[in-house]
Amino acid sequence: MTSPGRHPERRRVAVTGIGVVTPVGTGREHFWRALLAGESGIAPVSSFDTSRFKVHLGAEVRGFDPAPWCRRLEPESLGRASQMAVAAARLALADAGLDAADPEAERAGVAMGTTSGEPLEVERFDDALLGGGRDTIDGALATRYPCHRIPGQVAAELGWAGVNVMLPNACAAGNYAVAFARDALATGRAEVMLAGGADAFSRITYTGFARLGAITTDRCAPFDRERKGMVPGEGAGVLVLEPLDAARARGARVYAEVVGYGLSCDAHHMTASHPEGEGPARAMAQALADAGLAPEAVDYISAHGTGTPTNDRLETLAVKRAFGEAAAGVPMSSVKSMLGHTMGAASALEAAVCCLAIAEGWVPPTMNYENPDPDCDLDYVPNRARQVAVKVAMNNAYAFGGANASVLFAAAEG
Amino acid sequence: MRRSGRLSGQHTVVVTGLGVLSPLGDSPAELHRALCDGTDASGRVEGFPVDGLPVERAVELRGFDPARYLGDGNFRPLDRTGQLAACAARLALTDAGLRTEEPGAEDDAKREIALVVGSMFGSVRTIAEFDRRGLEAGPLYVKPFDFANSVINAAAGQTAIWHHLRGPNSTVSAGTASGVQAIGLAADMVAEGRAEVALAGGAEELCFESLLSFARAGFLASGEGGARPFDAKRGGFLLGEGAAFLVLESAESAAARGARVLATVLGQGAAFDPSQGRDGASGGRAVARAVTLALADAALVPRAVSAVSASANGHRHADRREACGLAMALGEHAGRVPVTAPKGVLGECLGASGALQAVALVAAMGEGRFPGVRGFEGAEDGFPLAAVRAEPARVDLQVGLVDGVGLDGPCCALLLGRGAVEARA
Repeated sequence: MTSPGRHPERRRVAVTGIGVVTPVGTGREHFWRALLAGESGIAPVSSFDTSRFKVHLGAEVRGFDPAPWCRRLEPESLGRASQMAVAAARLALADAGLDAADPEAERAGVAMGTTSGEPLEVERFDDALLGGGRDTIDGALATRYPCHRIPGQVAAELGWAGVNVMLPNACAAGNYAVAFARDALATGRAEVMLAGGADAFSRITYTGFARLGAITTDRCAPFDRERKGMVPGEGAGVLVLEPLDAARARGARVYAEVVGYGLSCDAHHMTASHPEGEGPARAMAQALADAGLAPEAVDYISAHGTGTPTNDRLETLAVKRAFGEAAAGVPMSSVKSMLGHTMGAASALEAAVCCLAIAEGWVPPTMNYENPDPDCDLDYVPNRARQVAVKVAMNNAYAFGGANASVLFAAAEG
Repeated sequence: MRRSGRLSGQHTVVVTGLGVLSPLGDSPAELHRALCDGTDASGRVEGFPVDGLPVERAVELRGFDPARYLGDGNFRPLDRTGQLAACAARLALTDAGLRTEEPGAEDDAKREIALVVGSMFGSVRTIAEFDRRGLEAGPLYVKPFDFANSVINAAAGQTAIWHHLRGPNSTVSAGTASGVQAIGLAADMVAEGRAEVALAGGAEELCFESLLSFARAGFLASGEGGARPFDAKRGGFLLGEGAAFLVLESAESAAARGARVLATVLGQGAAFDPSQGRDGASGGRAVARAVTLALADAALVPRAVSAVSASANGHRHADRREACGLAMALGEHAGRVPVTAPKGVLGECLGASGALQAVALVAAMGEGRFPGVRGFEGAEDGFPLAAVRAEPARVDLQVGLVDGVGLDGPCCALLLGRGAVEARA
């Protein structure tokens, strides 16, 4: 089989803009400064009452005001995930030095991912049903809840009429969206794409992870021997992707090039990873083959790194399986130690981390790391950001349902 | 094997299997016959209490038993959407002569088959019931199974587990265009060599939550008349449910294993209406652009299209947008080409609709008869699709267009050719 990523007729694809709405801050500069400083967005949940839970930590985006970002749409007509996606999209475009009206509308597209879409609309439905009965229910579940509204609202806000897709592949969704956007540009189906992910904090997601026993009671400490779990979060991350030639022609700052990706499925269990990390390893190997790179070429891995005992152990195993001896030499950190697990936004935000690592020459730390774990014996960049010349970065993400996605970014050379 | 005219793709993508679960039958041939006959499968919903709901009718899949398709097994971890998907997937794999569940040297699971599932809601019933259980009984009393199924990609995960589908795994949501977009994405994966074989389609269940909210949003047809796509007196749609999958495969892979080739994926197009359905002209342009892009992708002119499977469901404005968009893209040919609107029979199956349309279209190839539009008596003035009829048409179906139009923006189009269409180098 030929390497899809290196087909001679394909255009090279660059990342030229980054927009984020996160528990540690809004906008690329805040986000990056906070991550390098090891700041945490994790705190007791404020958006609903957790007194009936045994866990109380969450990673919420506090004080978010959608109004400044909605110039065409009425902000209150959008669900919360859509609002954050629109804000991240506007921020990403501004970061890329683009106006929404710059690209030809019909050649400008949006690819987004999510885990739950607009779960707050389901909560409103249930609150109304249990509180006031059927007669108090409106049509919002049919109009505001469906997850395709997230990329739809972004495109409507920008007036963009090109390909529009929602890939709701749970916690790997952002990577799927970046891969989709990369192909849409590489094959000439679009001239500019926004790609990312968004999710809103919800009692539904919180209840589920609490029931699975996955939420930590104190700190989120990925790869630490005493790690107790993850912290549900929310946010949005959006990248601007465009053909490398076009980016250079307009003098845009190029953070990185998207050089390959790999997608696989464990087909093993809905919420548990394959015990040998088989699926994730296959996704990583495919991404490397797609980019025509050897494992030794990778300078940084942005880990899925949720902080649950199982994920971090199996992810370590999978990296060793895919990278062989090279695994030990690659810094691999989890920003979920600071951002919590922002669900459908997570791999989009981590894709932004990869791009910034390449552009800035720094990698963010895994915070709260104190106790080495014999099962997790790689270089997790503990507690302190590190200056690293990153030419190639890999972004790993794993989802409920067994979907795995690895995306490779590289410094745009040649 | 590279096709001329295509922007993308190194492999020709062919269809080697079909699977369908619908209230009109669980085989493509039965579905084709029911669509030609204009069978009315709608009725008062029996699957959940509808007393006092503003709309009580739907096109419901009754008596669905997953054991009939999957044999013995524990179906409890799968919700209804997951069961529908897993069963339709089995039918498609079997139809294609692929066996993924038996271990051994010939295990087709080694092929790392891709799975792309179109779905609008995942299961909104599962997520809402999970939430209500947490509210009423307390967060400690919810079931982990139900949480696993509350993610929108749950059916894709469950189906992959059941059939050992280890390739790329994605759900696609584009409202009522989801199924068409899912087939398009899967075709890209095969064309680009990311999978030799892909299972592509969609699944959606009918549930209390969607019926009530669609009714309250004013989308549903009330009264006994049902949905009447494209008809001047249309007043909304009925909800339906079902699942359908196509096995897509590279022509090389199909030839190597001697698979029967039912159809060839010729091209696809996608566009978006940034007015999200509010501006009819903008919506029509998006429909037209998706179709025009699909024609360009296939290097075909409009008159090459033998028949159209429209997305029309009886919605006042969406049907009009689609008709105008098709007329823009197909020009004079729009007045001659036979058009069917399967949702007049199947109801609006949301994320499954496009896949059901595609399966029905392939089933019509070689049959000589192409379904009409159930309940169609006449269109409003200026309606551009002059060949729309209630009755089936005689068609030599060589190239079919499957159209997917969302209620709020997404537009996707897919062109399928009958049998193995040779590369025109």
